[in-house]
Amino acid sequence: MMRHRVPFPFALLRFWGGRLLPMWAFIGLVIFLVQIAVCAIVHDNESVRTFLKFLDVLPPFIKTALGGEMLQAGNVPGLILIGYQHPLVLFLFLLFAVGAPTTLLTGEVQKGAMELILSRPATKTQVYVCASLLTMAGMFALVLVMFLGTVAATRLYDFGQPIPLDLFFRIAVNGGLVAGAAGAIALLAAGVLAGRNRAVGVTVAVLVLDYFAWIVAQWWPRLSFLKPATLFYYSSGAKLARGWPLENMGVLLLIILAASIIGGVVWQRRDLPL
Amino acid sequence: MATLEVRSLTKWYGPVCGIEGVSFALDRGEIFGYLGPNGSGKTTTLRCIMGLIRPDGGQVFALGERVVAGRATQHDRIGYLPGEFRLWPGFRARRSLGVLASLGGGDRAQPRRGQLAERLELNLDRPVGELSKGNRQKAAVIYAFQHQPELLILDEPTSGLDPLVRQTVLDLIREAAREGATVLLSSHDLGEVGAVCGRAAILRAGRLVEMAPISKIVQRSERRLKVWFADGALAPQVPLGQLPGVRVIEQQPGLLHLAYQGACETVLRWVAQFPVDRIATPQTSLEEAFIEYYKTASATAPAAQTDSTPKVDQ
Repeated sequence: MMRHRVPFPFALLRFWGGRLLPMWAFIGLVIFLVQIAVCAIVHDNESVRTFLKFLDVLPPFIKTALGGEMLQAGNVPGLILIGYQHPLVLFLFLLFAVGAPTTLLTGEVQKGAMELILSRPATKTQVYVCASLLTMAGMFALVLVMFLGTVAATRLYDFGQPIPLDLFFRIAVNGGLVAGAAGAIALLAAGVLAGRNRAVGVTVAVLVLDYFAWIVAQWWPRLSFLKPATLFYYSSGAKLARGWPLENMGVLLLIILAASIIGGVVWQRRDLPL
Repeated sequence: MATLEVRSLTKWYGPVCGIEGVSFALDRGEIFGYLGPNGSGKTTTLRCIMGLIRPDGGQVFALGERVVAGRATQHDRIGYLPGEFRLWPGFRARRSLGVLASLGGGDRAQPRRGQLAERLELNLDRPVGELSKGNRQKAAVIYAFQHQPELLILDEPTSGLDPLVRQTVLDLIREAAREGATVLLSSHDLGEVGAVCGRAAILRAGRLVEMAPISKIVQRSERRLKVWFADGALAPQVPLGQLPGVRVIEQQPGLLHLAYQGACETVLRWVAQFPVDRIATPQTSLEEAFIEYYKTASATAPAAQTDSTPKVDQ
């Protein structure tokens, strides 16, 4: 007998999209405002000097985390980039990357709604794809909001020099891939692990370790061999300044695909704790 | 072709047997009771039928198509009521039920949902989190019935409902069957299974140990005989050694309440020796039959565990 084709559950995609929207909108708004706030500080040379003096009295890894040697008076693009690497912004990205797939997959399993969803015409793979699409689209849209924050700030403040928005666009797209890779790791955890807390815990641990490995590897030359093992290595500013870093983007895309596919295969094959 | 066919279904949870070698088939328009105590494997069977969990062995065919776990086989034609119904608490019942009905293409169930809510007296515009247990169960019934499915898989559908609403739900089940739907009704409530089902299966420790029409399940159990003796006559001592399969339930000066298995001829011959005023044969309920069955099954547990083939009467 011909197998009955199950249509894609767009209703679930819409419903889940609506549920994530308030969290996404809040995170997007804060990220947007951070870009404007950073630009408000760095467009004025006097403020920049005060800010850099303040950074010099803090432990050196903080300056490294915010951009390192790129943070110099007069290097306006480098200073604007603080808004892209600020721990608050990274935390907000992490919040969405971890929150979205774990809420949609393990969260629904734990709440009992997944049993109802899967007893309607929606395959497990389709449900996973819905969660993946929303996570990836949400992460890329947040990166776009971050870029739009920079664009808006360049209209609001006079920097005394042209701002290379094409560079920030490349940084945003590449950053979107880094964020997408973080989202894919969360998807993998949500697809493989039972229980929302466990999935959140493992993802946060992996991403935080990755972030600190990147910071320490930059700051301490003896650990520089760790750099290629971190996600942030593939958002190198130097390569982005020269053009599209296709090699780095390829690696990030590969991580996204591999993590998402492995998560999806395990999700499809395992019995959910309904 | 059977609407639902389960062949040698087996599911283990690590070293623990969920179900083993469960087989049955349901025809169109049939209401089939699926009985068993907690942990006997009823929910596991239902989840395997729905493809929510992957069986370790056996096959399920629903509406002519082989069920593959996770592939939503024929789910647009199946109504499922899980044992524990948990909707999104922050949303109104109408929205949650609408979203679930929309999966698989447009919400065509809206008019039917309204009718069912009216019949069950449920306000769909209240947030699910504010609904009482009984009202959540009404929402579960609406969820299973709203898209007028051809196959209904119901796990304890009347749990937590008051007797009046329970009757309404049983009426809904009967009406669905009259319109051609096939119903698999899992329940502990033997009264409701007896009231609506034509056949039933009994599950014990994951194995199907009985499958027969309800009337036969009832007949197979002990039968009862109440004898009132004529004025002044004392109830005699029962010679249990001479009357195999007979036991005394109650003995008072003028009354003897007996339980016996098999034909009543021997018991009646013995009773006829005494001055009898009247005799009654109380009907054995399905519940008594079920309890009796489990007593017997427990006593013969080792044998039951090695032989998982049920006694089957069509």
